Amino acid sequence: MNTQAHKARTAALSEAMKREGADVLLLFGNNWHADHLRYATDFGIQEGQGIALVRADGATTLVLDDPAEAERARAETRTCEVVFAPQLVKEAKSQLARAGNRAIAAAPYHLLPYGLLHGEKDLRVNDGASIVERLLMTKLEVEMDAVRRAAKLADEGYAVFRDAARPGRKDYELVAEIETFFRARGVAENFMIIGVGGAEVRGMAPPGGKVLKPGDMVTTELTPCVDGYYAQICRTLVVGEASEAQRQAFNVYLEAMVAGIDTVKAGVTAAAVAKAENDVFRKYDLGQYTTSEYTRVRGHGMGLFPDQKPQILEDVQIPLEAGMTIIVHPNTYHPVVGYLVLGDSLIVRENGCEILCGTPRELFSVQ
Amino acid sequence: MRRGLMAWDENELPRAALEERLASLRAQMRQQGLDAFVAYTNIARGAAVCWLSGFTPYWNEGLYFVPMEGEPIFATALSKRVAEWIGSVMPQGAVTTTPRPPALIAEHIARSGAKKIGVLELDGFPAGHAKVILEGAPGVELIDATDAFALARGGSDTSERALLVVADMLAGQGLSTIRPGQTSEARALIAPCDSAARLGGAEECFTTLAADLAQSAGFLRTDTVSALGETYAVRVSLAYKGVWTRRTRSFANDAATQAAFDTADAALASFAAPDGVPLDKALAAHFASLGTLANWTAEQPRGSYPLAPVANETGAAEGLSLDAPFVLSVELSLKGKRWIGARLIGA
Repeated sequence: MNTQAHKARTAALSEAMKREGADVLLLFGNNWHADHLRYATDFGIQEGQGIALVRADGATTLVLDDPAEAERARAETRTCEVVFAPQLVKEAKSQLARAGNRAIAAAPYHLLPYGLLHGEKDLRVNDGASIVERLLMTKLEVEMDAVRRAAKLADEGYAVFRDAARPGRKDYELVAEIETFFRARGVAENFMIIGVGGAEVRGMAPPGGKVLKPGDMVTTELTPCVDGYYAQICRTLVVGEASEAQRQAFNVYLEAMVAGIDTVKAGVTAAAVAKAENDVFRKYDLGQYTTSEYTRVRGHGMGLFPDQKPQILEDVQIPLEAGMTIIVHPNTYHPVVGYLVLGDSLIVRENGCEILCGTPRELFSVQ
Repeated sequence: MRRGLMAWDENELPRAALEERLASLRAQMRQQGLDAFVAYTNIARGAAVCWLSGFTPYWNEGLYFVPMEGEPIFATALSKRVAEWIGSVMPQGAVTTTPRPPALIAEHIARSGAKKIGVLELDGFPAGHAKVILEGAPGVELIDATDAFALARGGSDTSERALLVVADMLAGQGLSTIRPGQTSEARALIAPCDSAARLGGAEECFTTLAADLAQSAGFLRTDTVSALGETYAVRVSLAYKGVWTRRTRSFANDAATQAAFDTADAALASFAAPDGVPLDKALAAHFASLGTLANWTAEQPRGSYPLAPVANETGAAEGLSLDAPFVLSVELSLKGKRWIGARLIGA
């Protein structure tokens, strides 16, 4: 039942633990931050919280505080021991105590339960970021393949989205169609936000019941998950014919995205990619719309988490590495037409990148 | 992430109801000598903050700070561009977006002079956040306030019950689209449940399937589900405006077994919270004529968890309040055939 990627990840994790001198690695997660837990156990947690204890020899115990989730984990992941414990922290501490005073690393460190780190004088837990972070960012070949498959479903999902978007429909009805499509295709998770309207729209959020009307721009980012791996596509459509202003604005975003993507290759920093995108906005006197007042990031990593490091920002000096999977998206507010998005997922290569999205880079029009 | 409809409707969740909840919490804070209260929230642990504010973060995390007086503060790491939107769907509390929510809460604590800070589920509170609060507000003491919150919340108010009724209806609608024998494709059973729920305005829907009840009672997601057997069960866990419920129905390809399953569905639908009789005894009596009661679980919101086991046949789970609605899941053996059902009781 475990995925192909899991076997490769297990070997990589053991190697990293050995390199960092960790006897036990504790990984914490829930439906928001499921990535660390998934890396070690292959389990996609949906309800409650979980802790995985990975020993140096690879033996792994997954502790879950929801009984139905524990039952699902037993069926889905055959390579680790699954324990249901309503008192998650107490059980994890008990397991760690049984392991003795060994070198324990844990991640994500800042989210670890308070009770795990307090009240036990002999329990010393170190930040395990150095073990896990690089593994999460730079993908193995088998992981890249999962991201490719997710990107293909993102393309198919966007075709469903375009077909669903028409005047009179509510924003959440579009989401319902996408979700139905994804469930039927075996996609259990999807990160998706949406924006509907004109110059008053400053970003995307979950649907609030807005009704699509002629002239509206409809923005979305779809991020389906395949075997635990997310890939994202960002596109904008117009209900009816696009106005000249909308077309002109879109061309700026297209130029910026292409500039960003053309910059991508191993060794280039995330900052350089962001600068390439932002320079296009600056060229058109739209530089102020590349700041945090109007946009969050100019792209980001993706993998077992839909929005992971490296963030594509002009102050992020993380060098891109071959095998990183990222999206380049110059999404931001435009003062004339409102929030506009455009982005493609890609894999960083030594001398460039492999584009994963196949949906045309157009400002779509639906009737 | 939450990607269904997220909207606030004062007719469904009046401000007055939220104000009463806040007053109830403050009464408990006073009684327990707390100067302020902090609860952590994310999509997996959103129940407490949603009960107080009407809002669950669709992504990321946040801290909800309740001073003894004045407006509560919701500090979230969601980007500043969504602050206005959060304010439009979160009727109680002032929204502040910040990359470091605990640092902002620490500033408020320090400014207010509060010393005894009640923290919901202190053991499970993110340690990194606790560290920032303790460093940013020197001299404060973090005290577990799980019991105080539970006492404040008590049972369900009228608004919550009304939202639960809608959630239960949406979960039932998806399941009612399933026709036994119509498909041999497991995923084809899951997808319409999502569709019905989300078109009806559900904020979230997790549909899982026990594909072959003869083999296993375990429910799997669409990404791992196996081939359909002769009997199977579909479980819909659903959120509507922040309240969660579940429904499960079992199906059979042969008409005789389906008729027996329909009878069991009807029996579950007619079950009411017992008055003066322990739940286990009431369940045994209620289902005795149908078959053997294999196991059962009752779930209710607990602290930050939207649904948690509060009673079961082993006695290991505890905390059930029969005055409040609960989700009852039952497994029966009907002449050797496994049947599983779940639905909301008492709303």
